[in-house]
Amino acid sequence: MRRCLYGLTRDLHLYLGLFGSPFVLVFAVSVFFLVHAWLPRFGSPTPNVRVVPGLAQAGALRTLSGRPLIDALGPILERAGVRGEVGFVSHLVKDDALLIPVTVPGRATTVTLPLAGGDATIVTREEGFASALATLHRSPGEHAPAIRMNWFWMKAWRGLADTTAYLVLLISVSGIGLWYVLRAERRVGFALIIAGAFSFFGLAYALSH
Amino acid sequence: MHLATEPTAAGTAPPSSRLRVRLEQWNRKLHYYAGLFLLFFLWLFAATGLVLNHPTWSFADSWSRRTDTNSEHAITAPGPGSNGDLAQARDIMRQLGIQGEILWTTTRTNAGRFDFQVRRPGHFYFLKADLGNGRVSLRHSRVNPLGVMKALHVFSGVQLDDPRQSRDWGLTTVWAFSMDAVAAGLVFMVLSSLYMWWELPGKRLAGGIVLGLGTLVCGLFCLGLRWMY
Repeated sequence: MRRCLYGLTRDLHLYLGLFGSPFVLVFAVSVFFLVHAWLPRFGSPTPNVRVVPGLAQAGALRTLSGRPLIDALGPILERAGVRGEVGFVSHLVKDDALLIPVTVPGRATTVTLPLAGGDATIVTREEGFASALATLHRSPGEHAPAIRMNWFWMKAWRGLADTTAYLVLLISVSGIGLWYVLRAERRVGFALIIAGAFSFFGLAYALSH
Repeated sequence: MHLATEPTAAGTAPPSSRLRVRLEQWNRKLHYYAGLFLLFFLWLFAATGLVLNHPTWSFADSWSRRTDTNSEHAITAPGPGSNGDLAQARDIMRQLGIQGEILWTTTRTNAGRFDFQVRRPGHFYFLKADLGNGRVSLRHSRVNPLGVMKALHVFSGVQLDDPRQSRDWGLTTVWAFSMDAVAAGLVFMVLSSLYMWWELPGKRLAGGIVLGLGTLVCGLFCLGLRWMY
């Protein structure tokens, strides 16, 4: 029975770990970019600018904000061929236009949509693989939950990010079980757990007190 | 077939095989040594990652449960030795006994007025200094332990999309390099686990399918979406 449980734990640890490993790598590698505010870029960062005429009579958008505004912008952006997660929309009072940021991991698009009608300007910037990882690490994030996840793929990513977090918790617990079976390694293991706890709580205490 | 976590004996195998066995042993040992040392860090980042992904979870809303303290303080206006906003902010913080990471949130338009924020996990200081009259109004917001944990997840002193922010507190730098170490440890654990899996011929096919599935799904988000849209 114990051997069966051990085998099951070991297999779960192995297979769940293998499935989750690419996601763990995404979160781990992007830490270096986020912690040092540094993104390696390869290739030209030159933006692609295009103008789309007669996109919409967008005057009705004046009265909207938050999620209803994002929902109303969906078909307009679709006609402009812009897809992705819509961010916080700004109203440029001076130009009477909406500034709409749209993100696909690794690409940032900004749509300037005149509310009185006229040409919409679409600026697309390819930001590369590192930026994609950083975007995914921060998505959906804690801010503006009312407007976030307005794109199917971002909703799907949130599910996967959650799954990765649960997998890390589960795998760490199963890993403890697998280590504990190794009697010869218990003393070193306990010493490392205590050293890790001391480092973690010591740092957390120093930062917050 | 040996178990993934069982020690293997070097025995009387040839030198190259012994070396390989030792490599396997140390790879396995370092895998769980790293995991055990990083355990609390991993739990922090995994648990707070979930909470940050779900800002609508009511139990996780630490900001609305904060405690605010407002106070007014007399200060000596930063002297001529305090050149620049950073030096002036540090001078005011020293006078008020505040430590933390300075956050620039407003553009300074009046030489006599100086508004800035100072943050450290669990504490938010909002300072409005009237340098001409030597007064500072201070709002100090404190959040609960969950708020401290959430802050630790994102506390790096810099922001990708705001080049004005830079680390100016020593402990932020220590924490930032701790996060680097955790990330490096995770990368090592993933690579060492791939090696351990590969050393189990009986599990290569099933493991390869699972790993391939994970890579495919993850690759879709990292690379594929840009091609599709």
